[in-house]
Amino acid sequence: MRKLILTVIMFLFALLMIYPFLWMISTSFKQPFEVFQYPFQWISDHPTLKYHENVWTGPASFVTYYLNSLKVSIISTVGAVFFAAVAAYGFSRIEFKGRETLFLIYLVAMMVPNQIIFVPKFILFNAMGIYNTHMALILPGVFTVLGVFMLRQFFIAVPKDISESAMLDGAGHMSIFLRIMLPMAKPSLATFAIIDFSWHWNDFENALIFLLDERLYTVSLGLQNFVLENSVDYNGMMAAATAGMIPMIIVFLFGQKFIVEGLASSAVKG
Amino acid sequence: MLLILLGELHMKLNWMRRQQLVGYMFIAPNMIGVSCFIIIPALFSIILAFTNWEFPRLSADFVGMTNFSRLFQDEVFYQSLKNTLIFLGSVPISVGLGFLVAIVLNKSVYLKNMLRTMFFLPYITTGIAIAFVWMLIFQPVDGPVNTLLKSMGIVHPPGWLSSTSSAIFVFDIIWIWFLLGYNVIIYLAALQEVPSELLEASKIDGARRMHTIRYIIWPLVSPSTLFLLMTGFITSIKQMGIFQAITDGGPGDSTTVLSLFIYKTAFRYYDMGYASAISVILLLIIIVITAIQWFAQKKWVHYS
Repeated sequence: MRKLILTVIMFLFALLMIYPFLWMISTSFKQPFEVFQYPFQWISDHPTLKYHENVWTGPASFVTYYLNSLKVSIISTVGAVFFAAVAAYGFSRIEFKGRETLFLIYLVAMMVPNQIIFVPKFILFNAMGIYNTHMALILPGVFTVLGVFMLRQFFIAVPKDISESAMLDGAGHMSIFLRIMLPMAKPSLATFAIIDFSWHWNDFENALIFLLDERLYTVSLGLQNFVLENSVDYNGMMAAATAGMIPMIIVFLFGQKFIVEGLASSAVKG
Repeated sequence: MLLILLGELHMKLNWMRRQQLVGYMFIAPNMIGVSCFIIIPALFSIILAFTNWEFPRLSADFVGMTNFSRLFQDEVFYQSLKNTLIFLGSVPISVGLGFLVAIVLNKSVYLKNMLRTMFFLPYITTGIAIAFVWMLIFQPVDGPVNTLLKSMGIVHPPGWLSSTSSAIFVFDIIWIWFLLGYNVIIYLAALQEVPSELLEASKIDGARRMHTIRYIIWPLVSPSTLFLLMTGFITSIKQMGIFQAITDGGPGDSTTVLSLFIYKTAFRYYDMGYASAISVILLLIIIVITAIQWFAQKKWVHYS
């Protein structure tokens, strides 16, 4: 009985957690006069697809933003996973002088807030000629500190005996990394890839600072642009917000197990 | 005999040296990138903080501590410091709430996985999109929150984002909501490490249950609590996007937090030297939080 009551209480609380999502979806199918109608109705009496159509086919089409975001997020994630895995292998499986010191530098770099490096990056990207191009997001995006840290934790947990016997057979670190470590670490690589993808997809600050051309906008930036231009079109805003969130919802539904386990293990064992 | 020994030693040294080189080669690609895009820029920013450089001027002078003394007389700076502190208040609330939710979800509910998913949804899916949803939910005239308050008999509900006295608290509410799922996940993982007899004991009767939670389970999960507080403080202090998107620091400067103050100084007023000085303060605050974590870990946290 107690369990049932607690379940009901927790369910109501959990509903409150997803209330903004439900409200967003409900509003995106409504007519303007229904948005703040009292008493509230979840399902519109006059449902319309107009606002969703407008997001995709209207003057500020989300198709371009989507392609930009996909391009930036996918390239960044693939690069980040690769470079982080290589470095994490070095930090977890090879002993060399200065390893601990170098790792300490990584820990310090993890504290550095984005805001302190915006201005120097702005200067650097201007000098490199990549300001206002997607490279300004991708190039720094493929080098991750947190990724090295997370993957190192995972790699340490992979049993050593297989790689040691391979080493006795004369295999070098490169082939052990490629043939043994990467296949064994697939679940952790997937976990990091999913989390990293969500960071890139949700990234707003870097796009805001380093992109000027509307043609280059990512979804977050396009969304803000849409809101600024249509500040009273609440239904349109909610349809656009829904569009911006769809990929993350899909990633969440398919990758939840990975994400939860990945985050939990890197925090509890770390 | 000696020769053979020396030869072996030589080979061993050679092998070690090669091992060293391979190690550096594995670290190098990422290390170079991290140096170019994080470490060197951060150091460069510290230098810029002592100059009067303004974009797009090509020259700059060293001005010593001028930026910092200007900062300590700048009212917006104190305002943004205060706003940042109020915003950080959401972290302990969300962590505490996360602990309670995790305790209940862990053993005392049906449909545990479904509930956990619902709590966790905001953490992964939330980008700038949800910011605009919250903006409408807190719409002052007839948004859902104020409609509810009015129907409960509150004639003059807060103006939320439109009022200088309440706007920052809307961000606290959003942030408690956003962090909660993560806190729950981490506490649930930590609770799996708590011996199950202790959790069983907490089921028996009301008084003993509270006692067990307060005096046995809470101390046992204290490493997670510390972790969540500190990472929470650090992610929150860096957060700038939702402020820029929802209010852009307004009304007045009532929602200007340090990170947004830096952004505006740099990319609206192009006062790069001054912006760098503020960002150095931000970095110092983060270092202090990390140092506190380091020392608190030894004193407060209970390791079994």
